[in-house]
Amino acid sequence: MRGYLLRRLPSALLVLFGASFLIFAILRLVPGDPATSLAGPDADAATVAAIRERLGLDAPLLTQYAHWIGSLVTGDLGPSYAIGGQVSDLIGDGLGATAELTAAALLFVIVLGSAFGILGATSRSGWVRSAIRVTTTAALAGPPFVSGVLLVLLFAVVLGVLPPGGRVSFLGAPDLAAQYLLLPALCLALPSAAVLGRYLKDGIERALAEDYIRTATAAGVAPRRLLWRHALPNALPPVVTLLGMQTGHLLGGAVLVEAIFAWPGLGQLAEQGLSRRDYPVVQDLLLLLVAVFVVVQLLTDLVYAWLDPRIRWE
Amino acid sequence: MTELYPSPSPSTGLSRRSTLLAGGGALLLGLGLTGCRSAVSESSSAPQETGGKPRRGSTLNLAVNSDFVPALLFAQSGQSLQQRLIYNTLTRYDDDLTPKPELATSWTYAKDGRSITLKLRDDVTFHDGRPFTADDVIFAVKNLQNPVRAAQLRGTAAAVDGFEKRGDHELVLKLAHPVNNLFDLFEFMIITDEKTVEDAVTGKKLIGTGPFRLKKWSPGSGLSLTRNDSYWLPDRPYLDGVELRVIPQADALISSLRSGQSQLSFHVPGKSLSVIKSDPKLKITNYDTGAGASYLGVNTTVAPLNDKTVRQALAWAIDRDRLLAQTLGGYGLASAAPWPKSSPAFSEAHRTHYNHNPGKARELLKSAGHSKLSFPLLHIGLPGETAVAESIQYDLKQIGVHTTLEPTDGATAQKKLISQEMPALWSMSHGFAQVQPSTLAVSAYPFNEAKNTSKYRSAAYTKVVQEAWTKPGTGAAEANALHEQISGILLDEAFIIDLVVRGQVQVNADRLHGVALNKFSYLNLDDAYLV
Repeated sequence: MRGYLLRRLPSALLVLFGASFLIFAILRLVPGDPATSLAGPDADAATVAAIRERLGLDAPLLTQYAHWIGSLVTGDLGPSYAIGGQVSDLIGDGLGATAELTAAALLFVIVLGSAFGILGATSRSGWVRSAIRVTTTAALAGPPFVSGVLLVLLFAVVLGVLPPGGRVSFLGAPDLAAQYLLLPALCLALPSAAVLGRYLKDGIERALAEDYIRTATAAGVAPRRLLWRHALPNALPPVVTLLGMQTGHLLGGAVLVEAIFAWPGLGQLAEQGLSRRDYPVVQDLLLLLVAVFVVVQLLTDLVYAWLDPRIRWE
Repeated sequence: MTELYPSPSPSTGLSRRSTLLAGGGALLLGLGLTGCRSAVSESSSAPQETGGKPRRGSTLNLAVNSDFVPALLFAQSGQSLQQRLIYNTLTRYDDDLTPKPELATSWTYAKDGRSITLKLRDDVTFHDGRPFTADDVIFAVKNLQNPVRAAQLRGTAAAVDGFEKRGDHELVLKLAHPVNNLFDLFEFMIITDEKTVEDAVTGKKLIGTGPFRLKKWSPGSGLSLTRNDSYWLPDRPYLDGVELRVIPQADALISSLRSGQSQLSFHVPGKSLSVIKSDPKLKITNYDTGAGASYLGVNTTVAPLNDKTVRQALAWAIDRDRLLAQTLGGYGLASAAPWPKSSPAFSEAHRTHYNHNPGKARELLKSAGHSKLSFPLLHIGLPGETAVAESIQYDLKQIGVHTTLEPTDGATAQKKLISQEMPALWSMSHGFAQVQPSTLAVSAYPFNEAKNTSKYRSAAYTKVVQEAWTKPGTGAAEANALHEQISGILLDEAFIIDLVVRGQVQVNADRLHGVALNKFSYLNLDDAYLV
């Protein structure tokens, strides 16, 4: 396994290096720079030049690139140009917030998706099944910026029971933090929960139509036991795979939901960084995302290699 | 309908119950937490009504659409609200641009206008306990002279070329040449602690003499401020703290106000103000600061816009009243000149110099030999800015001037503005007409007499701007004559076509009182309280 890992590492590093170069080059190709952004609309050329010099933007591009890679290697990401603070702190805070939101949404996906799936497949009431079908269709069709606004309108403005946006740290006040988390997590989770629910419903219905269920029913096995012991375990494996894929969707969707609920995660950070051409923040953030995908890919390959020894010797 | 499998008997209907439980579990869990403490009541709880008298206590939640940018601490930006909460300025203008004492208690101008003597408060301390002295004023001026600080009033600060301390609380500022906008500088210049200034511009430490201390800045979330118990103004502030919460999305910001989570904001888009108007718990206040103005910029080197007759035709073509009503929610002043009503340069004749007259516009175009023209029109690609550009596009089309909209992001637009790379036409907003009129042409780049985005140069314009800026001793009549000349050139040359002068529109909960803004949109909560 170690040998396999060593063989895979160079290509992973090569991808990261290529990505870093592309990210650096593309950011420089976009018009506007942090200096003009910081100088403001009423600045004169001398002010812009002084800011550019202070930020080191007057150095040749290769020097700037080398400086950036050097900072990555040493682990000191340095200060943000425009947003303020250290880049590592900004990304750390944003990552924590996005992870919190995604994890809560994943919990909702599992709970709501299971409820939709099991109830949709087992309910005897046509009314309940129709209600679930309509709910899941609406959840799938409604983009987060619509469902988000509706949720805020209902729970924050009309009922006034939940805050419409913002974030409170779980460390200081977990009870308040959970309330701030509820609406954005629900909004983010709804489409994925609907997808999961439909898959699960189909899976259970297929499993319940199998011969062994009929045999078990004839043998007098209780319906509850049929569902939980026999049908559900058989319906679950594809759903688990789907859940893994939906986690990626949740991470991507979090960017939009963060804007609606003023949730200070990576999406907000990326938007702020890009609009102010804050090169260090955007560069490091994008490279981090590439690194996450590279690591996930590497881990997947390792798991496959562990499962199938033939791959290791290829 | 055939059932796919035997249904659970009613007596064993636990599966349905358990799924219902599972479905509602998370919601109940979350909502159940409200049994402990409610996030809603935590942030919107108010002290009891006190019959309109100021009341001590409570934290004010202020909704802002973008976060504090520490690197812009010494510049005026779209988010300068926190400046006067943490820091003080030397003086502050009243509504008539008469300076009033703040950290400076009195001042005496030399007869030749080449120096000013300031007397300073002797009972002021910084948040770290250090006393405020004349050295802090000297540092503040020198700090603004540094181009890295991007202070728009750097030109005025740079006119100060000498300091004479007369004790710890008296100081003479010597000027290289007289300027008439020194009090603009005093209104703009926040007094910071020299030792921690580098930490201030990275957001680590913000130490001033203001009514609130920085508790925490969470990038992306906002600023948390707490009451300064040693504030120099007795018994102030009334509030225990201020939370500046970043809510970039307009709908979310409005929800925050309507649900009582936030009690104050200056960032509700014009088109959304009708929603606010219908809410009895919210109040709208329009400040006639004129700190911003929508304008149509013209590149005077692009033919045939190098002919001022064509530029004047564009100025006649715009329906400013419709623009104001339809795209800006009616809050502002339709005006052909940049000045708000509070400016000494304001005149009704200038404001209405160009009104909506497409017939006259077409005549002017015809006299210049054109019937149909086509230009690109750059604008910032945000909803509000796009609406303004579309409104301009519609009006120009009526006189045969076709425009192609070029939506651009803010950073690119700024770069093009500063580097004079704007296309034939662009629509944006400018500031700096709200203080001394000379400041506009000295500090607002689009109007700069020596170098501006329109590439407009004229010896007459330079002469009158310099004269207006460097003659502080002039009487009112002479000053008015100079303002008149500046306005005359701006209107006649039409290289910047002003459309609507805008101040700040404040939306606040009706239980919030005593809010004020200075001319540079620094929020003053010295007297604010919640009932």
